[in-house]
Amino acid sequence: MNRPLWRLAATALVVLALVAGGLTYQQAVAGPGYRDDVRNPRALADRATRERGPIVTAEGTVVALSEADTDGDGPLTRIYPEQGLYAHAVGYASSYFGDTGLEARYADDLRSSDDGSLTAALFSFFGGDLRPHQLQLTIRDDLQRAAAAALGDQYGAVVALDPATGAVLALVANPTFDPNVLASGDPAEGNALAADPEQPLLNRATAAAYPPGSAFKVLVAVAGIEAALVTPETLFTDRTELELPGSTAVIHNADGGYCADGTSLTLERAMAVSCNIAFGELGMLVGAGPLLDAVEAAGFNGTIPFDLYTIASTLPAEGLEGDLPALAQTALGQRDVRATPLQMALVAAAVANRGVIMRPFLVGALLDADGEIARSTLPAPWRRAMAEETAQALAAMMEQVVTSGTGWRAAVPGVRVAGKTGTAEVPGGAPHVWFIGFGPVEPEPGEQQIALAVMVEEGGNLGEEGSGGSVAAPIAQAVLAAFFAG
Amino acid sequence: MSRTTEAVLVALAAALAGAGSVLTRLADGRAPTYDALMAPAVFLAAFGGLLVAVRRWAPRSTRALVPLAALLTAVGWVEVARIDPDLGRLQQWWLLVGAAIAAATLFALRRSGVGVLRRYRYLFLVAGLILLLLPLLPGSWPVRGISLNGSRLWVRLQAGDLSLSFQPGEAAKLLVVVFLASYLADRHRALTEMPRRLGPLRIPEPRQLLPVLLAFGVSFAVLVYQRDLGASLLLFIVFAAMLYAATGRVAYPLATLILLLGGGLAAHESFSHVRVRVSAWLHPFADFAGTGYQVAQGLFALGSGGLTGSGLGAGSPNLIPAAATDFVFVAVAEETGLAGGLAVIAAYALLAAAGFGIALRARDPFRKLLAAGLTITITVQTALILGGVLRLFPLTGITLPFMSYGGSSLLANLVLVALLARVSHEEGS
Repeated sequence: MNRPLWRLAATALVVLALVAGGLTYQQAVAGPGYRDDVRNPRALADRATRERGPIVTAEGTVVALSEADTDGDGPLTRIYPEQGLYAHAVGYASSYFGDTGLEARYADDLRSSDDGSLTAALFSFFGGDLRPHQLQLTIRDDLQRAAAAALGDQYGAVVALDPATGAVLALVANPTFDPNVLASGDPAEGNALAADPEQPLLNRATAAAYPPGSAFKVLVAVAGIEAALVTPETLFTDRTELELPGSTAVIHNADGGYCADGTSLTLERAMAVSCNIAFGELGMLVGAGPLLDAVEAAGFNGTIPFDLYTIASTLPAEGLEGDLPALAQTALGQRDVRATPLQMALVAAAVANRGVIMRPFLVGALLDADGEIARSTLPAPWRRAMAEETAQALAAMMEQVVTSGTGWRAAVPGVRVAGKTGTAEVPGGAPHVWFIGFGPVEPEPGEQQIALAVMVEEGGNLGEEGSGGSVAAPIAQAVLAAFFAG
Repeated sequence: MSRTTEAVLVALAAALAGAGSVLTRLADGRAPTYDALMAPAVFLAAFGGLLVAVRRWAPRSTRALVPLAALLTAVGWVEVARIDPDLGRLQQWWLLVGAAIAAATLFALRRSGVGVLRRYRYLFLVAGLILLLLPLLPGSWPVRGISLNGSRLWVRLQAGDLSLSFQPGEAAKLLVVVFLASYLADRHRALTEMPRRLGPLRIPEPRQLLPVLLAFGVSFAVLVYQRDLGASLLLFIVFAAMLYAATGRVAYPLATLILLLGGGLAAHESFSHVRVRVSAWLHPFADFAGTGYQVAQGLFALGSGGLTGSGLGAGSPNLIPAAATDFVFVAVAEETGLAGGLAVIAAYALLAAAGFGIALRARDPFRKLLAAGLTITITVQTALILGGVLRLFPLTGITLPFMSYGGSSLLANLVLVALLARVSHEEGS
């Protein structure tokens, strides 16, 4: 009887060894995944008690920090001293609502590595630093304040960045919210924010797309020049009406009259005065293929790699080919084209940076608890939007917009500023108004540039009377002036 | 291992229970309770007493049995008391009662030895069957069956205000193992020979097979009527293993495997509670808030424990449903980590090795089969519940020997250890 007994004993021990293997797998291999699973309540409790590093701006303004309660033990409270000013740029950390924005993306770096485990204690014993990192933003506090002040209580967004590096210098979206309410306030108030029909939690700079209006003409001109169909000197007939072939629709200019003297005008002048008829014709001339090429080269119909959640800016390809009225309307930034303020800021940045869009970023560096740089973001090109010569031609044309065109209110004395206005008609409502631009044009070696996009919903304070030149350009001017003064 | 070592190990287990009680309180920032004193006292009384009984009535027995049982009981008790102090206190009573009954078993067998059990084997079979079917008693009787968590495997005795619940299946498994050991010791030759043919298969005389088939039938009845997947599987596997041990015929475990697969498939098709278990095993996160909740919470606890655990008292095992019973091992592994979990598995492996050692050394077929059957029972039960909570196979509700909260289970397993000790005494040199 002993032979089967030996086999049974061996089987029993093998089964127990399998059980030991199963335990090892669940705890050592799959374990970290289970530990950090959002449905694991332990992770929530851990998040509330573990030290969390601060978030500071480029010059050291603290925009988020954690404070212990009076007895120094128990849950930490996340505090946002600037309240709504940085809410959309930074997000919030809440044990009730979860984390969003940078607080979510950099949660692992911001949190202390001291999870109370023996592993952490050993790591610390051998000189490891368990203290939380801090995030250093690329945002300049003065520009952020200038942008928020200029936007006032108008709904919209301002995105400003360094075209040579992609470092975001200001990111403001309105309406905003007080992240302190979500981090430590009454859950009912947080729920009210989420349910607010004005959508204060929506980041209008990166997660909302609008028709870009005439600001889109920049990309139409790029498409025409890149396809070698036009140059800035190409002449267009100056008319008051453009009948669209195969349809009853008619395109007018913004004021209903001529763009110039009633004979003809160059593409450069058409850009400066935002001539709808000239660009409608250009759109039909360029056609769907080259237009889509230029637009997608700038990042449309794709995802912008960024520290914050972004939605795609879109130009649907379906039905555009051969549909001349659609092409003409698309060329004016109307119909189905939609863009986020971040995307339009990158269009301006592409022109400023000789055609190359740098990968945008908000976090310049991770600092350790002593303030030393632990990891910094290296600027990296994201994509080439246009040829260098095209960018130069566009820069010259866009400078005309500010010196002698619709964008004159964005001018900063002593600085060569380029830009483009946009006034996107909304059926049955006031237009969404835009200004995209950059400066200085042709910078001195070593001189820093700024590119930006301003978008104001429904004409802002001017309502139906509002236009890109009258509402958005002054906001851009305030940010540009602050940049060149600083 | 000398008797002194054995006593020291038992004392260490008692100290571990006391220290564990202190630690789990301190980890929460609370002062230790009187449990910290009571627990070592109870453990010393129970296992010290059992040790004295073993020394008197089974002096030549294998030494490792009682210390291993003491260690596992202590680790389990610390976790149970940490999860629910009231259950911990109740478990101390069960421990005292269980040790007393185990000692009484040794006393009863002191002259006659385990051989006397053979005389009553049919009584044991009948008693085992009655115990297994007891939970099916109507709910209006003074002794009645009750359903818990969809399984009807409890019996409640009601006399006035006094009510006592127990799981008769735990005692039944001992009785059935004793019966099988005795029956197979007599018939193993008849069952080894396979003179008859059934198509291409060779089978033994049907008359010889009858009790075996009856036993399988009962275990299937347990599954169908009591919805107790764990006990049914345990009985199935123990029968098959003992048949194999007695005959050396691989055909028996093979046939069982086929029956098991067939029965499993049929059960999966017919019983919703079986389907629920299987789907919770395959996709615990698909129905996270529903059927998969317990398994998923168990996995979260294991993952959060990591290599070294959260520390005794510093984890959150209360988040897992049935943490003190079916999932007590997961609670231990959360708080003491992979290191503690592997140590517990190693203790069970040592217990299994000691048990099989006793069986291998025994010369008399009955004692051989009895020791093997008891060891297989405890090992299979351990593997079933551990494999279930670790997601190696579907979770079947069954207690983890010595560690889970539960009087019936602790009692039965202490008696099991006493029987093993007695067998090793009788066959020891």
